[in-house]
Amino acid sequence: MEILVCVKRVPDPAENEISIGPDGGDIERDDLVYSVNEWDNYAVEEAVRIAERTGGNVTIVSVDDDEGEEVVRRQMAMGASQGLLLTDEAFEGSDGLGTATILAAAAKNGTYDLILTGAQADDGAAQVGGMLAALLDWPYASVVNLVETNSDGPLRIGREIDGGSQEINEIETPCVLSIQTGINEPRYVGVRGIRKVASIELPVMDAEALGISAETVGTAGAKVRRVDYFVPEQRAAAEMIEGSTEEIADRIVDLLRAQGGIR
Amino acid sequence: MAQILADRRDVDFVLHEQLNVETLAEHERFAEFNRKAIDLIISEARTLAVKEILPTQVDGDRIGARFDNGAVTVPESFHKAWSALTEGEWVALTEDPEWGGQGMPRSVASAASEFLLAANFAFVMYAGLTHGAGTLIETFGTEEQKKRFLKKLYSGEWTGTMLLTEPEAGSDLGALQATATPNEDGTYSIVGTKIFSSGGDHDLTDNIIHPVLARIDGAPAGTRGISLFIVPKIWVNEDGSLGEPNDVVCTGLEEKMGIHGNSTATIALGTRGECRGLLLGEANKGMRSMFLMMNDARLMVGDQALACASASYLYALDYARKRIQGRDLLQIMDKEAPSVPIIRHPDVRRMLMIMKVYVESLRSLSLYTSYCSDGIATADDPDEKARLQGIVDFLIPIAKAYTTERGLEVCDLGIQVFGGYGYIKEYPVEQLLRDCRITPIYEGTNGIQAMDLLFRKLGQNGGRPILDLAEEIRATIDSAAAVDRTAEMADAMERALIRLEEVGRNLGLTAMLKIQVAAGYAHPFLDVCGDVMVGWMLLWRARVAAEALEAGAKPKDRAFYEGQLGSAEFFTTNMLPLALAKMDVILSGSSVVVDIPEEAFAGR
Repeated sequence: MEILVCVKRVPDPAENEISIGPDGGDIERDDLVYSVNEWDNYAVEEAVRIAERTGGNVTIVSVDDDEGEEVVRRQMAMGASQGLLLTDEAFEGSDGLGTATILAAAAKNGTYDLILTGAQADDGAAQVGGMLAALLDWPYASVVNLVETNSDGPLRIGREIDGGSQEINEIETPCVLSIQTGINEPRYVGVRGIRKVASIELPVMDAEALGISAETVGTAGAKVRRVDYFVPEQRAAAEMIEGSTEEIADRIVDLLRAQGGIR
Repeated sequence: MAQILADRRDVDFVLHEQLNVETLAEHERFAEFNRKAIDLIISEARTLAVKEILPTQVDGDRIGARFDNGAVTVPESFHKAWSALTEGEWVALTEDPEWGGQGMPRSVASAASEFLLAANFAFVMYAGLTHGAGTLIETFGTEEQKKRFLKKLYSGEWTGTMLLTEPEAGSDLGALQATATPNEDGTYSIVGTKIFSSGGDHDLTDNIIHPVLARIDGAPAGTRGISLFIVPKIWVNEDGSLGEPNDVVCTGLEEKMGIHGNSTATIALGTRGECRGLLLGEANKGMRSMFLMMNDARLMVGDQALACASASYLYALDYARKRIQGRDLLQIMDKEAPSVPIIRHPDVRRMLMIMKVYVESLRSLSLYTSYCSDGIATADDPDEKARLQGIVDFLIPIAKAYTTERGLEVCDLGIQVFGGYGYIKEYPVEQLLRDCRITPIYEGTNGIQAMDLLFRKLGQNGGRPILDLAEEIRATIDSAAAVDRTAEMADAMERALIRLEEVGRNLGLTAMLKIQVAAGYAHPFLDVCGDVMVGWMLLWRARVAAEALEAGAKPKDRAFYEGQLGSAEFFTTNMLPLALAKMDVILSGSSVVVDIPEEAFAGR
């Protein structure tokens, strides 16, 4: 099975103290330590496991500037044989649809049976996987926490649904799956893996090579713009209500009345 | 940036800006290790250290290796960490890829190892000893022995040790009594008892391969009659499969001050007369072979101390930034003034500066020494190989003894910065001090290192190595003298180097006339050699930083580079004068250490 895994380089929350930048439109990005988006790491592990079971290749792709190379290579070192960096000044400032457009163009350049993304990334929108599937007109399943392969038939996949329950679906390939954390235990990158990928030529494709019109992506094509970024105001601490059930109920009613919850 | 264990920016600075290790990739031998590979290796070593090894640190200390009913166990958490370490193939970083090693430059391996060691060096020792035992077999073993043992050692499927010490043969290995009697099948029957055997027994792996020093029947007395043997805990058949247990019995573990996670075993060999060993290398040449491993191990011990110091420094720095206590000295009279983080207090800053200076300079010294070893591996010119070998040989006792003592001092200051909290087990700094305390002792006490430096290394090849080293130092001094911000420091280093050369010549003469007096100053001599080496490293770093600032460093790098200039200035103004005073002490040549009657130390 030929698998494409989309990965994103994000500030590592375990390594940084995140603060809002002076213009309020973004976080302070000077001196940040970046690593791969956690969900994407699970997606890569799942792809490598599928390829180990079924044969085939895993390709890692990322939309980033030159700095993205280390993350692509790092994820390749988990067991992917190929990587692809999609980089162009025109890509900067892309919204979810823009990013999906760029990835879809790269996907059309190959012959993939399966595309995996992380369920979400640092912006929490969880949109790229679904949009990518729509642009390719492929079936899509989100928050996938189980992938079983059959020799010919559709994939059998599990999805996490409300209340911690799981539903099982069958999905035809080619398809796009967004992968939930916990689906597996991602391996650490070993020295041999690093040695394998460090000298591999990493193809880089820009807008022209991908056949993308620059106006449709990046800031120029973005239909969603972040206008503000802020840390929520600290609220007063919770009040713990004590007493008998009757007393607690009375107190809740009083509070709801006082705050306008009930009239 | 929440840095723990070792400052990534500083590690990168030494590798790429001070030493330019990626140039090693120009040589075929290290072609795979380009900048991208090095960066990934350091990143992944750090990730593994933080996520898998650091969580074993407290278990290792509180649970420790245990001996019960003849069996040795390590804490449960060690097993998962061992799997992660071995699956990632972090055991044999520098060894030959043909036998399962990774073929990495030592400088890169050493930088990566600093993170692993800082996370729990008692645990990482199991891998370090395996690397050492494997290196012995790779260097001195027959093809058959290599096939039989190496891949399983380098993969971490088995571990290795080094069984040297006996109750009556510690620093003086020539006194060892373990015997080896030839058998008809070409093996030897080994009998003896070895103590203080690090990683001597455990349940991490199915087998343990012990390189053992023993005396073949009829061999000459002293070190010239010692041979080296491969003694597996479980016999290994010629096809590599496991045979019967080999009459290698752990009879107990030592109760130590620190590194509780590493089993320090007493191993009885051949109590039933059934312990077999294979001769490794030539008969009676065991000490020479073992020294190969010991030199390597001495550098590793220096790295252990550096790792403890680095971790302690970063914990202390983080604490000093967060712990609010006391008013700023400039507002001390204002009762309403807010309390400030303790890093604002000059005495705390003084301690942090000492820690910073030593951690940075010792890291540079360690990686420079390894980098010279890489140079030996890549040099085509035999003279250049010999020159670098001389420098490495000279630096080994310093990189072991000076680094372990200063590392210990840093760990001590780490506790002091924490105050009372540093003395309790809630914070990691007290364990780091206890763990670090072994490093000036094992792999040849620091006293032995000092004797090695003064009586062997100083005069080696007619004193060539120290002249070569001085040339290297002068090259740094000259380049730093040409940079405005380091010119004054360069001048101070030049004076210190001239004085050290005088001390070396003087002590060399004393050694010929009054050997005991000279021996009494062996350690002070090593100490001032170390002072000059770290001064050199700091000057080198400062020059690189000054040039980077002059060239217009990125805003995020400016504080780091200013920090390098600060370290060098602090050393030059606050510490180098003390080194010069210590040199005066050596030149005084007092013989009181030798003269004072034994009875005068104290009554019996």
